[in-house]
Amino acid sequence: MTNILAFSETRLGELRRAGLETVTAARRVADATGGQVHAVLAGGPGIAQHAAKLAAHGADVVLVLEHDAFANYNPEALTAVLAARLGSGYRAAFFAASALGHDLVARVAARMKLAYASDVTEFAFSADSVAVAHPGYTNKIVQRFVLKANPALISLRAGAVLPAENAKAGAVEALAPVGDPTATRVKVTLTEKAAGGKIDLGEAPVIIAGGRGLKEAANFKLVEDLAAAFGNAAVGATRAVTDDGWRPHSDQIGQTGRLVSPDLYVACGISGAIQHLAGMRTSKTIVAINKDKEAPIFKAADYGIVGDVMDVLPALTEAVKQARAGA
Amino acid sequence: MKLAVCIKRVPDMEGRFKIAASGTGIDEAGLKYDMSDFDGYAAEVAIQITEKAGAGEVTVISLGPDVVQETLRKALSMGAHRAVQLKHDAPVSDGFAVATALAAELKDGGYDLILCGRMAVDTQNRSTGVFIAELLGLPIITAISQLSVDGGVVKARRELEGAYELIECPLPAVVTIDEGIARARYPSLKGIMAAKKKPLDVKPAQLGAITYQLEKMELPAERAAGRIVGEGKDAVPELVRLLKEEAKVL
Amino acid sequence: MTASNGLFALIVAVAAGFFAYNVQRLVGFLRIGRLDDSRWDHVPRRLFNLITIGIFQRKIFRDAIAGPMHAAIFWGFCVLTVGTGEFIARGIMPGFTLAHFMPMWVYRFYQNNQDLWGALVIAAVAFALFRRLTHRVKRLQGAETHANDPLLILSWIGALMVTMFLAEAFEMVAFPEHATPFYRPLSFAFANLVSFVPHDAAAVIRSASWWSHGLLVLGFLNYLPYSKHLHVVASLPNVYLSNTSGPGQAGVMKYMDLEADVEQFGAKDVEHLSWKSLMDGFACTECGRCTAVCPANITGKMLSPRKIIVNVRERLEQRAPELLMADGRGQRVETTLLDGFITEQELWACTTCRACVQECPVSIDHVSVILEMRRNLVLGESRFPEEVTPAFESMEQRGSPWAFDPGDRGKWSDGMNIPTMAELAARGETADILYFVGCMGSFDDRAKKTTVAFAKIMQAAGVNFAILGREEKCNGDPARRMGNEYLYQMLAKENVETLARYNVRTIVTACPHCMHQLGNEYPQFGGNYDVIHHSTFIEHLMAQGRVPLRHDLHEAVSTFTYHDSCYLGRYNQIYDAPRQTLKRALPVVNLVEMPRSGDRGLCCGAGGGRMWMEESEGKRINAERADEALATGAQAVAVACPFCMTMLHDSISSRSESVKVYDIAEVVAERLG
Ligand SMILES: Cc1cc2nc3c(=O)[nH]c(=O)nc-3n(C[C@H](O)[C@H](O)[C@H](O)COP(=O)(O)OP(=O)(O)OC[C@H]3O[C@@H](n4cnc5c(N)ncnc54)[C@H](O)[C@@H]3O)c2cc1C
Ligand SMILES: Cc1cc2nc3c(=O)[nH]c(=O)nc-3n(C[C@H](O)[C@H](O)[C@H](O)COP(=O)(O)OP(=O)(O)OC[C@H]3O[C@@H](n4cnc5c(N)ncnc54)[C@H](O)[C@@H]3O)c2cc1C
Ligand code: SF4
Ligand code: SF4
Repeated sequence: MTNILAFSETRLGELRRAGLETVTAARRVADATGGQVHAVLAGGPGIAQHAAKLAAHGADVVLVLEHDAFANYNPEALTAVLAARLGSGYRAAFFAASALGHDLVARVAARMKLAYASDVTEFAFSADSVAVAHPGYTNKIVQRFVLKANPALISLRAGAVLPAENAKAGAVEALAPVGDPTATRVKVTLTEKAAGGKIDLGEAPVIIAGGRGLKEAANFKLVEDLAAAFGNAAVGATRAVTDDGWRPHSDQIGQTGRLVSPDLYVACGISGAIQHLAGMRTSKTIVAINKDKEAPIFKAADYGIVGDVMDVLPALTEAVKQARAGA
Repeated sequence: MKLAVCIKRVPDMEGRFKIAASGTGIDEAGLKYDMSDFDGYAAEVAIQITEKAGAGEVTVISLGPDVVQETLRKALSMGAHRAVQLKHDAPVSDGFAVATALAAELKDGGYDLILCGRMAVDTQNRSTGVFIAELLGLPIITAISQLSVDGGVVKARRELEGAYELIECPLPAVVTIDEGIARARYPSLKGIMAAKKKPLDVKPAQLGAITYQLEKMELPAERAAGRIVGEGKDAVPELVRLLKEEAKVL
Repeated sequence: MTASNGLFALIVAVAAGFFAYNVQRLVGFLRIGRLDDSRWDHVPRRLFNLITIGIFQRKIFRDAIAGPMHAAIFWGFCVLTVGTGEFIARGIMPGFTLAHFMPMWVYRFYQNNQDLWGALVIAAVAFALFRRLTHRVKRLQGAETHANDPLLILSWIGALMVTMFLAEAFEMVAFPEHATPFYRPLSFAFANLVSFVPHDAAAVIRSASWWSHGLLVLGFLNYLPYSKHLHVVASLPNVYLSNTSGPGQAGVMKYMDLEADVEQFGAKDVEHLSWKSLMDGFACTECGRCTAVCPANITGKMLSPRKIIVNVRERLEQRAPELLMADGRGQRVETTLLDGFITEQELWACTTCRACVQECPVSIDHVSVILEMRRNLVLGESRFPEEVTPAFESMEQRGSPWAFDPGDRGKWSDGMNIPTMAELAARGETADILYFVGCMGSFDDRAKKTTVAFAKIMQAAGVNFAILGREEKCNGDPARRMGNEYLYQMLAKENVETLARYNVRTIVTACPHCMHQLGNEYPQFGGNYDVIHHSTFIEHLMAQGRVPLRHDLHEAVSTFTYHDSCYLGRYNQIYDAPRQTLKRALPVVNLVEMPRSGDRGLCCGAGGGRMWMEESEGKRINAERADEALATGAQAVAVACPFCMTMLHDSISSRSESVKVYDIAEVVAERLG
């Protein structure tokens, strides 16, 4: 009962970074409490190739579920497999707090009639319980719970544990579907990357926004480069910018534009007028870059750099690229 | 079509929260309450379905003390047809216990589609809808950003990180609603007047057993607002470190 | 009495009867409208309006060209109508003359004037026709106008005059013994010109002219009810019945009983408007003065206040018969004033600046119609620009149109040692004056500077004041002007309650919208206060010598221009105080005026809730105003309203690096000794 299960999320045959985070977290717990890490790798034919990577991040065993029926996310069939497996005795199971992870952990918990902890940022295991922290109230409050259920089901917020290598044997074991995995009620008929790599402002977890401080339309390239470095970022603008036609009106953020609340909002050369703030104040983390240290945007920002966007943006783009590559 | 929407009453997220003396809840003094955002979208979606069909009924359900009636009235003023309060005065932090009570009410209602929010914007557990589906033995699709119901089949779209997927399942079913699907309408005064005359039943909540207990609420480590990391491009490494380690967004 | 007298009497009777029928029919139309506050009070004030605006054409003269022209026609008409009366009476009873009813010298004077005004009218009509045909005056154009109607009317008037002179002159030729050369000098001169005509022929021409004149007069009378020139009849009553509540009160929106009135909130069709708004439709002359000054129209939006009024009349003439004929004989047209005639887009473009009302020579109130229709859109149909929703929700949830924590409302005063009313009450104290800061002044970074400046001035002058801090709520003006009366009343009632708790009597504020609400509209909820705008208050303190100013400062700016806020100016008639404040603070600085200033000031574009709506149609109003301000060559623009501040700051900063916008309080505070 001391083994830890880690569900490693895949998409379209690729292993996701979140899949390494769950394995790393499980490894950390197993190292402290004794026990093995069993990583679950599910997907269509060929998915097994990722087993080695999981081993490198600390999986003692990689449970591979390779089957046509799992090429797309198959929530009901996966729930059946995982509930059965976990019923055989695990101390805990880690899922990613992603769109799919949230779906799956809740289903498994529901099937097993267990409480679970969602979107966890901190966890501490003790003999018969796990203390977890989970942000609520749009990140304004940390809720601390004690999870007494066994196994403890946890979905882990992205970045709460960074992937770290810690190679283990990673013995590959096949995992069989429970029943007919195609005979499910809920079917995912298509999975597709967001069109053209352009992420909608409303959904982007990161937004890089530019204001009049960029001086001219051509300089928006700097903003676009930073967005590209993040990979999951969209570009926004102030009305001063959309008015001047540097960006289309659809990019305008604020009172009379889009209302957004990404995880990270980087305001470049934006003064922070009330009409702009009205559209982005609820962003979880706000970074401001402005050459005027009195600019009101700094009052709304969590982190600020006083400086010229022309210098700061290229440096930041470089640093973000490196940080993303290192991960 | 009969639709049900589960609605949670939550405090206004713009306020600055204080922890109550008990340490397990927020200090409610001076807070305004409203429908959880996603539940507002869910109610809107349900109402639009009946409006388009020119038939059907939307029932809104909320579990909580008598003040939730105000939230239910708002849903009625948007256009829902009737409301049910599952009365329970003390806070519960166990999603399963809440879902058990909601499922008990939903069970014999003959609903074709049950809608919940993707998550409650206060406690953010994201569990209730899935638990209800399991308790009722119904298929569920979570966190959807598009929905169509046609010929007994629900078709939906879910946004993933940088991707999306299309999902379908047969009715009756449960769905949980993400943003982007519809904005909750602003009730007209006509709607508000009409809502006063719509039925609102109050029933005792039949909570399930509690296995998950909130120990403590605390405010996150204060990040001084307007913290200047430094000047010019030399400040970039420190900013990146903070984004990675403190804000955890990199 | 001859046969021809009898025939004429019959024609007059038919014409008068038909006219009377039309008048009672149109007056009957007004019955479908809603009740309005008494329009029969304030008799002296109403008579005063009737005389100055109606008879003396005060507003007509605001246009330097059309003013005298119209006045000539109007006054001519007044004088000639008496003559027409005599003319008709004489047509029925030969030998009738007014001379029997007055001393002879008065009669001679009257005769003299008939000739004189007849000539003036001919000249004015000729000029008007010339102007219409050759100049295409911009304000007279527009799809909603009836372009041929004025041409017909002007020609008709011209024909009336010509036939009058012809009849008069040929009478003199045919019956020289009737000639009164000295008293009808122009007719006599004309008669001399045509004296070669034999007497018989002259008698025939006289007779023909006489009949033409008579028939033209009666025809004109009966054409009026079908023409925009109904204003000839309707404008004087309309001026008499116009809103007389005076400065501050005239722009007040009507109270709406939200509990009682559940069938229809606001106006979707003409029958939901007040009878006075319907009458406005009859009084409109399509002169276009309103549209010519409308900031929305000037900058290329669809909204035209004239069209709103013209549409009201058009729809009224369609709808009233439907409603008034109980047996449904009226032909039903499936449409409504909203959508069928006036679109949502037009209604949302209005900034409620009241420039149109100010300018209308017959005292029409366009804004009431627009706002009643907005009420229907929001309360009845929940139709409004989608970007407004967060503002509504935030006002409801947090008492401010922007989603800020209400707890931060008093934050600007940190470290300034300004007490809140609650703090004073806790100590058993109170303050003389409440400073109502408002949402902009509390949360907007630019406006907060004004707030701080005004507070510093009051502190320096030793004023004993306090603020409400987190207990203050939005005054509700944006909600009310956007048609959300429900939300507005919620906020107003809460504020009235809070103010009652502290027994507040005197309030100062730097926001004209707060001032207008608290001072002029809150009495509807039992809140009666003495509300003073900061421009008046600072000027008053300065006049008393209570503001210590330094005079050793080098002025960075040498020319200022001042932008009038609509809610301060046209709503509350405060034009001087802010200018005086500037002059006192900056004795050596030059104050230049924009072409559109004072009661002709152009709106900044933020009023009427426009502050929360996107402006994508045409040119931005604040851009238009910024261009005008910059064209004066001023180095700084002064404002006295936080909304004007945002709008002008926004547009000027994108046009000029050097010209800055200041609130008058900032200018004074800068110089505090
Ligand atoms: C009715 C209405 C609706 C509005 N709606 C919106 C809306 O929806 N969204 C919106 O954004 N705005 C809106 N606005 C406009 C808003 O008031 C501001 O004017 C606008 O947000 C300002 O944009 P900005 O910050 O890009 O420009 P500015 O205010 O001009 O700020 C530029 C900033 O860049 C800084 N800067 C300059 N050069 C550099 C440099 N080299 N490096 C670093 N920093 C530099 C300056 O210090 C300054 O702080 C609205 C206004 C009105 C009146
Ligand atoms: C009176 C009362 C006080 C509470 N106080 C606290 C507290 O102090 N701390 C705390 O952590 N939790 C509190 N809870 C809430 C409880 O934790 C949650 O209801 C439960 O954990 C479900 O998780 P969630 O609210 O995060 O909703 P999620 O699992 O995120 O699900 C969201 C969806 O489920 C539905 N739903 C959730 N709750 C309700 C409800 N009550 N009625 C109808 N539909 C609902 C809605 O559709 C909602 O969008 C309280 C609940 C009640 C009734
Ligand atoms: S109030 Fe101002 S904006 Fe509105 S119609 Fe009249 S002139 Fe135009
Ligand atoms: S409303 Fe008044 S100003 Fe406008 S066109 Fe009619 S008469 Fe002229």
